[in-house]
Amino acid sequence: MAQLIQALVLGVLIGGVYALMASGLALVFGVMRIINIAQGAFLIMVAMFTWWLWKHTGIDPILASVITTPLMFGFGWLVYKYLISRIRDQSPSMSVLLTFGFALVIEGVLNVVAGNKFKSATPSYFEESFRVGSISLPKTQVYGFLAAVLVLALLFVVLTRTWTGRAIRATSQNPSGAALVGVGAAGTAALAFALGTATTGVGGSILSVLYPFFPASHYDWISRLLGIVVLGGLGSLPGAMVGALVLGLAETLTATYGSLRWSTLVFYLVIMLVLLFRPQGLFGARLREDAV
Amino acid sequence: MTRLEALVPKRLAALPRRHLIAGVALLLLLLYPVINPWQPYPQGVMLLAFMLAIQASSWNIISGYAGYISLGHSMFLGLGSYTVAILAMRWGINPLWLVPLGGVTAVVVAVLIGSVVLRTRGHAFVIITIAMLLAAQILAVNFRGLTEGSDGITLELPFWSKDYQNIPFYYLFLVVLVLTVLFSAWIRRTKFGTGLVAIREDEGKAASIGVNTTRFKVVGYGASAFFIGIAGGIYAYYLTFLNPVGSFAILGSVVIVLSSLVGGKGTLYGPVVGAFIVQLVSEAATVYGGGSQTRVLIFGLALVAVVLFMPAGLLPTVETWWRKRHPVDVEYTDQAGALSAGALSEGPASSRERVETRDRALAEVAEAASDELTPGDVLLEVRGVSKRFGGLVAVDDASLTVRKGSITALIGPNGSGKTTLFNLVTGGMSADSGEIWFEGKRIDKLKPWQRGHLGLGRTFQVTRLFKDMTVQENVVAPLPDSHWRTMFADAVSGHEAARARELLDVVGLGRFAGERAGSLSYGQQKLVELAQVLMLEPKLILLDEPAGGVNPSLLGRLTEVIHELNDRGVSFLVVEHNIPLVLELCDPVVVFSRGRSIAEGPPATIREDPVVLDAYLGDDWRPKPAADSAARPDPGSSPTATETVKGVR
Repeated sequence: MAQLIQALVLGVLIGGVYALMASGLALVFGVMRIINIAQGAFLIMVAMFTWWLWKHTGIDPILASVITTPLMFGFGWLVYKYLISRIRDQSPSMSVLLTFGFALVIEGVLNVVAGNKFKSATPSYFEESFRVGSISLPKTQVYGFLAAVLVLALLFVVLTRTWTGRAIRATSQNPSGAALVGVGAAGTAALAFALGTATTGVGGSILSVLYPFFPASHYDWISRLLGIVVLGGLGSLPGAMVGALVLGLAETLTATYGSLRWSTLVFYLVIMLVLLFRPQGLFGARLREDAV
Repeated sequence: MTRLEALVPKRLAALPRRHLIAGVALLLLLLYPVINPWQPYPQGVMLLAFMLAIQASSWNIISGYAGYISLGHSMFLGLGSYTVAILAMRWGINPLWLVPLGGVTAVVVAVLIGSVVLRTRGHAFVIITIAMLLAAQILAVNFRGLTEGSDGITLELPFWSKDYQNIPFYYLFLVVLVLTVLFSAWIRRTKFGTGLVAIREDEGKAASIGVNTTRFKVVGYGASAFFIGIAGGIYAYYLTFLNPVGSFAILGSVVIVLSSLVGGKGTLYGPVVGAFIVQLVSEAATVYGGGSQTRVLIFGLALVAVVLFMPAGLLPTVETWWRKRHPVDVEYTDQAGALSAGALSEGPASSRERVETRDRALAEVAEAASDELTPGDVLLEVRGVSKRFGGLVAVDDASLTVRKGSITALIGPNGSGKTTLFNLVTGGMSADSGEIWFEGKRIDKLKPWQRGHLGLGRTFQVTRLFKDMTVQENVVAPLPDSHWRTMFADAVSGHEAARARELLDVVGLGRFAGERAGSLSYGQQKLVELAQVLMLEPKLILLDEPAGGVNPSLLGRLTEVIHELNDRGVSFLVVEHNIPLVLELCDPVVVFSRGRSIAEGPPATIREDPVVLDAYLGDDWRPKPAADSAARPDPGSSPTATETVKGVR
């Protein structure tokens, strides 16, 4: 029983971090119908930078997200302005190829700059745990989860309570309608992309503590995150949250009762099963434009 | 080119230039090992280029023709390799005998994945393809009993003497490459290939003309896996060693995508040309440019650069440039062809023959429309159907009947739910409640293409032709039934193409058969769309504003065709705002307002119905005192249909 509770709690903690990482992907897809394959590479890039900061200044890796997040916001804005916006008129599949190419460029640069070795940030509390009754929770997991939830809550407030956020949501639901009431689609798209990229600032910093990484790890991450987004329903933020929880739980439960090496496969199996019965994903609405 | 033409026989010279060049290139590649037999290194580079070309050319079927990008296609290479290696180990026979099974495994896996993921439109597919590639890698690592896990499998060495080096593999890959290109060319020639391109251009429209989009995509995905699986089997024997990381490498997928993109995705030879370029550049980079570590960076930069600066790819870019340098004269005088009612086809045929062609084409369409129903029976029945979009009720408990042999009009103000009703009837959207019956069958749960196969065709308010296809391809694309034989029928020559030509002649656009559909005028596109629907052998045609944006003379041609088809038993449901046309053409007339019908009857009654005058027609149509009734003004500036038709003749 304790084992089950331990697995469930751990699954939720991991799921929270996944939710943050996937939220940027869902946001960008919702507003622009662009799948940003480079999101995983962004995460690894931030993790590398965080690791470097921690190594040289001793700054806490998770707290380093205060620095990385605004940097990534600016980075995302630039990427949108100089890459993504240039192919807005082309078919959406070109954006997949463009961001895929960009992910490779980042991987290649990281290979050259940082070398092709596994890294992991190990702050002082790295091996400590909180104990609640018979279950033990690694401090890194708890801090990571708290940071993720905090940022998700902030994102939620931005999206629902500010004019910018409402503009982003309006554009994602009805671009031409939003344009009519004075919301410029181009500016909003840039903001949404920058915001979506900014989430990797926090996500990458958390990643550097929780998981070992090296430049080519971004494939594993992007396929996990994309899996979450497909499971939840493309473009749906609540869907991404639920998908992330499912992944977290699938991983910890498989690791507890089966073997760690099957955990990712179990998740892919869950995705295929869900798609078998709900082709549009858990929360994916069939949009009016989807009508054939 | 003249020198070349002097050298080759006439029949060869008649082939398109690109096939000639491909043939010469193939000849050189066949001769190369004979001319230069003791050079294993260049042969090795070449055979890897062949393998990449096989993969890129196969990828092109699902991602180029159908537009569904796969980023995990190297998975099929690994599947082929593992199938062959495992079975060769177990059964103790030479791997080459098992190569076909590698292809079979690849197809089976593709069809399984495809039938889960390809049922919907959109982006889930590309995402799943990446996930499946990584999943395959994890499986290969974890299933130790079968795959030896990360240790990998070592195969027996080739049985031939080391002196021959790579030559047998060189020819094996070359043969598979030729087969792959022929296979791809054959697919593009069939209605299956036309359907795939239709899906890329406009998937909703494709479904409405009888293309079973799910089946097409799944079969396309399966077809794109076969030769890669075969190549994978040969590759395993060539390497004599395979492991999970090497066999299911994402970089393998990157070079596939990059090759097709560089050469020109969606074209026959583009992926092959691209594969040679990418393989040679990659080899040069490895030898001269700091080893394979930098390859990721180079491929990434190349992919970004191609997407940004040459998205169409090399071959299409060259072709556009060539066309600009060597413009071909096209007759743009359409009016004469479209308008002279008798002169329907091009060429020296007598007008009598032309009329016969047209009669035969129309008769063939009408043949499908004839059935047990007699004129006057209920053909289409809409019972209490509703559709809401959020708070807006677009169609509100609407009922409507179309009788066999009628031309029923559906008129009403903008936003009264006419087009939404069309979408519900043809399956573009599903109703929230209510039933729709066609020929005594309930159809509201059927897929759009199933409704098309039953004989329900439609045109769109704003034409939705496949703009990058030729006019003829547009008309060939529809599938009147769900038979596999129809799906694989030849679309370029033979019966289907001939019918398409005849139908184009019927609407007077035969001479535009070879033009890009997007280059036609709006009114001409409307006529092509009508011909396209006729290919579906419909019993009932739903026309959404057929007269919108069509000039009066073409409109005359349109009403003429509608009349002729109707005389032969095809029924119509017409949404139209050109009231004089409606009153002249249609009987009965149904008036829609606020999502339901408010009046129905013969045109004469409708035009005087006070409810209709209030809701839609307005005061201009209110009966005036008898004295000036002859001088009743027409709303808008459009001439009446009667005048239009007279003006034509």
